[in-house]
Amino acid sequence: MTKFIVRRVFWTIPVILVVILLTFGLMRQIKGNPFRTSERAIPAEIQRNLDRKFGLDKPWYEQYARYVKNVATFDLGPSLVLRNRDVNDIVKEHFPRSLELGGLAFLFALVFGIPLGAVSALKANSWLDYAAMFFSNVGFAIPSFLVATLFIYFFVLQFDFGFPTSGWTGWESKVLPVVALGLAPMAAFARLVRGTMLETLQQDYIRTARAKGLRWRRVISLHVLRNSLIPVVTAAGPTLGFLITGSFVIEQIFAIPGVGRYYVTAVQARDYSVVMGLTVLLAVIVIVANLVVDILYGILDPRTRDVRT
Amino acid sequence: MRIKTLWLLLAMLVASLALVAAGCGGDDDDGGDAAGTGATQEEEGGAEAAEQVITVNWGTEPPSLDPGLASDTTSSNILQNIMDPLVKLDDDLNPVANLAESWEVSEDGKTVTLTLREDGQWTNGDPVTAEDYEWSWKRTISPELAADYAYQFYGIEGAQEYNGCESNCAAMADKVGVNAVDDRTLEITLTTPQPWFIQQLAHHSFLAVHRPTVEQFKDKWTEAANIVTNGPFQLESWQHNSRIDLVKWDEWRDADSVKLTRVNGRMITDGTTAVQAFEAGEIDVTGGLPTEEIPRLKETEDYQQYPGLGTYYYGFNVDNITDVNQRRAMSLAIDRQSIIDNVAQADQLPATGFTPKGMPGFEELTPDSPWLPETADLEQAKTLMDQVQNPKKDITLLLNDSPGHREIAVAIQDAWKELGLSVTIKQQEWAQFLEFIGPPPDKSIDVFRLGWIGDYVDAMNFLELWTSDSGNNSTNFKNEEYDGLVEEARATEDNADRYAIYGQLEDILHGEDGQMPVMPIYWYTYVHLERPTVQDTYNLNLLDQIDLTKVVVTEE
Amino acid sequence: MVVDPTQATRRPVDTAAAPAHETAGAPIAQSNLWKDAWRRYLRNRAAVLAGSVFVLLVLYCAIWPFVSPYDPNEVDFALKNQGPNLEHPFGTDNFGRDLFTRTALGGRVSMGIGFGATLVILLIGVAYGSISGFVGGKLDNGMMRFLDTLYGLPYLPFAIIVTAIFGNVTFWTMVVALSIASWFTSARIVRGQVITLKENDYVRAAKAVGARWFRVLARHLLPNTLGVLIIAIFLELPGVILGEAILSFIGLGISPPDASWGQMAQEGRLVYRVAPHIIAVPSIAIATLILCANFIADGLRDALDPRTRET
Repeated sequence: MTKFIVRRVFWTIPVILVVILLTFGLMRQIKGNPFRTSERAIPAEIQRNLDRKFGLDKPWYEQYARYVKNVATFDLGPSLVLRNRDVNDIVKEHFPRSLELGGLAFLFALVFGIPLGAVSALKANSWLDYAAMFFSNVGFAIPSFLVATLFIYFFVLQFDFGFPTSGWTGWESKVLPVVALGLAPMAAFARLVRGTMLETLQQDYIRTARAKGLRWRRVISLHVLRNSLIPVVTAAGPTLGFLITGSFVIEQIFAIPGVGRYYVTAVQARDYSVVMGLTVLLAVIVIVANLVVDILYGILDPRTRDVRT
Repeated sequence: MRIKTLWLLLAMLVASLALVAAGCGGDDDDGGDAAGTGATQEEEGGAEAAEQVITVNWGTEPPSLDPGLASDTTSSNILQNIMDPLVKLDDDLNPVANLAESWEVSEDGKTVTLTLREDGQWTNGDPVTAEDYEWSWKRTISPELAADYAYQFYGIEGAQEYNGCESNCAAMADKVGVNAVDDRTLEITLTTPQPWFIQQLAHHSFLAVHRPTVEQFKDKWTEAANIVTNGPFQLESWQHNSRIDLVKWDEWRDADSVKLTRVNGRMITDGTTAVQAFEAGEIDVTGGLPTEEIPRLKETEDYQQYPGLGTYYYGFNVDNITDVNQRRAMSLAIDRQSIIDNVAQADQLPATGFTPKGMPGFEELTPDSPWLPETADLEQAKTLMDQVQNPKKDITLLLNDSPGHREIAVAIQDAWKELGLSVTIKQQEWAQFLEFIGPPPDKSIDVFRLGWIGDYVDAMNFLELWTSDSGNNSTNFKNEEYDGLVEEARATEDNADRYAIYGQLEDILHGEDGQMPVMPIYWYTYVHLERPTVQDTYNLNLLDQIDLTKVVVTEE
Repeated sequence: MVVDPTQATRRPVDTAAAPAHETAGAPIAQSNLWKDAWRRYLRNRAAVLAGSVFVLLVLYCAIWPFVSPYDPNEVDFALKNQGPNLEHPFGTDNFGRDLFTRTALGGRVSMGIGFGATLVILLIGVAYGSISGFVGGKLDNGMMRFLDTLYGLPYLPFAIIVTAIFGNVTFWTMVVALSIASWFTSARIVRGQVITLKENDYVRAAKAVGARWFRVLARHLLPNTLGVLIIAIFLELPGVILGEAILSFIGLGISPPDASWGQMAQEGRLVYRVAPHIIAVPSIAIATLILCANFIADGLRDALDPRTRET
């Protein structure tokens, strides 16, 4: 097992290098001048000074080599647009908020999704089941921007529940964005758990366990739930990765100063170093989330260790 | 179970639609209600409130609070309030003495001597001296800082050379025409007489920075913990992309006149989110408003509107649309007033010339063009169009993708259909858009949209755009007479004479025989929501500047 | 696409219990298999209803713009922001354009992008997965390592970079943006299927009598993965549609005059206080499409894989 984990961890290093190379290559394809922010033309002298200052006058391979070297020393370089800030500052200040938002939404999805699905499966075809599945199907299908807009309209503007419309300060400000972001994965988890639980309940060994007179409650907790959680674990990695790296819409609507909001503006402003830095960071999140899942999976289902390297 | 679930889902979708419709429809009736809770029938000029605190929305994160590096409105507005400008502009954009108590312009108009007040000081107690200015300006001009706005100083002798220097830079720095004669006297040598130079000093690029602080903290000197300022407000905290809070600095030379004790500032970029925050009482002043919301918000007493010194225009690529009659016809076909009323919606003024109303000398310019009617003149447009030998029928119209532009383009596309033109709207995100319009513009582009907001208060700032070698002329329009007149205006110190030349320039653009390289649509306005308790004092001048020293919060 | 976590369960399908194995190895019974599947699908009333709604939606989007009495691009400010009424069942937008017609057009764009990107994802997946799985050995190992690497790419950020590269977002740019970092899962599924099938007796027999490898692939392997791929289309679709909506919402949607449902919703959000129907109509259209896709996928899964059956 240790060997498996060590191998998987080492494997992330070439992955990150490839991600840097890909992002670097793609960014270079984008036309646009990071220094021309308004319709005003930049005089040639000033353009030259700027290119020189940020090393953009060097050939691309030199820029890449320098960048990789800097990343290796955890220096993501200065922002080209936010002239007094380093990418490191931006990550340090904004990333924890995205992490918190994504993490809380993920927890919300797990904490409400799994019981919802489990109850649905155990009470299959009851009204409870219908209601729960109805809720999760709709929750999954409605785009998050509509959910967020409805939340703000009804829970803040029409009826005052004490939530602010925007920002990321006290817990009050976090409730609506977290629920708006977590609704879809919650619904997905509920459906997933319901489906696999129904399937597991049909299995022979469960029937045997029941026939042997094991107490029903114990059977559920030991066998059924445990088995049904395997697909949830598998789904959890990509979901967590997606929630942390994909909260652009929620961050925009609720004016949350996370990296998602920064990312879009940075791409549009051609702030190469910020885009590079944040992409590498987001890739690391996805990689780590996948890594954790693989390891968890290896623990839950030992067969995978041999097949997957 | 699924069949039931699915029916339920469909039912719920329909129900939710009804709910949204009902919920929001109801809002129409009690639209005034939300505003009513904030402020009842208070007449303006109420008594001063005990607590002089407001919360504003700065909009975007300021890219830099370094006067040398700042290049956007948000940074500029904050800087103008935490620093002490040499001159300020009054409501009519005339320069008013501020930290510079007086100035003198030499006979030939090329030497400007400023005298500083003696009570200017930095927040650490140091006095503000002429040397501060000399050092700060040369820093901004220096190639090492690579400041975007270094060109603001190009009117000063030696500045452009120093900014573009490859070697021997130190020697060239000494030749820049900025000289601290003594602590309070700053002497500036200009390349030509520039009658607008005093107004230009109100621009944030000309603010001074505190040398020891900059040298100690380098790039990080603008962080709230490090910064040393010299204005009426201090930067209390700066949480990036989230908030900037200012507090009154009690030691400021004229602190007694400042009413506000604190200005909390949020950064909400999304217009709809900002409006919601205002309606929920979280902010007292919004930034700009989403166009689509304006008709609803206009009905509230919080709505405020200010004229702006800016022109929204469409430029023609004259190499593609070669016939001037086609350009005139295309301009005549547009119903500017209808676009304003139905699309732009903020009571902008239909542009009758390129120089916006409010510009000093505007009356003498009489930019009163036969080709820029307020409402469409389709008949004449069609007549003109018929005279065109080889009309360009397939028009590619390039826009950037920020909100609002597409809507105007759709209306114009619709209008040009009447002339038998088929318009393809091509939308690009800003950075690529700028690459496309050049200059020179991409060959595929026939028409593009842009705006121009004045940086300083002289029609020169607008009219010099259309010279042959202008870095902002994306129309391929080249006219020697025009270039010559611009040169002549630059050297003309007398206002009346200069305005007369500006009138000729406008004539070349839009007059009876005008070449129509550009088609102005409207002159900008700025719109905000403001609580009635801060209205009338939270004023902006034509350059979109906020002066927090004048803001007073009244009793509700 | 990672938007739907349920789909992610298919990631380790090559190692964990693969749901469709049992049905796989019987090419002789092909026609019967499909007939059976169709019968089973028809027994599932929810899937039938979802399928019908889906077909209606497609027909509406395809046909209505030709039939509609309204020009979808005709600007008439006198008619703007009308709520749903008899003349305009979905109301009008802020240009006074008929939303019933524009929603049909928007559906063409959204569904076109949705199916386009899904097909691209599956095509790349099939090509990559079947080569990797069929050839096996070192090549398989290398290709899977590479795939592992690509798994590190965050999907939306890369989509954003791609739209920026093209600058002017068109139908095809959007398809590229949405598929560039989301075909990895489908490649894995196909590879898993192919590896399982490779051990199948028919395939072994075919190989034994000396059939060419691509013949084996085309005759025996791909048809057997078809069922899984059809399910995958409907599983993949919601994620792609939502992805397009997200990109449109943050201002990276395709250029006018076309407007996808995502863009219509984004425009609607700006006026939701005065004309809530403008955000509601496209949002509900998106939701309906996603719901249908989910139920159809469920139905297909049950129909094509008799092992898992609804209680």
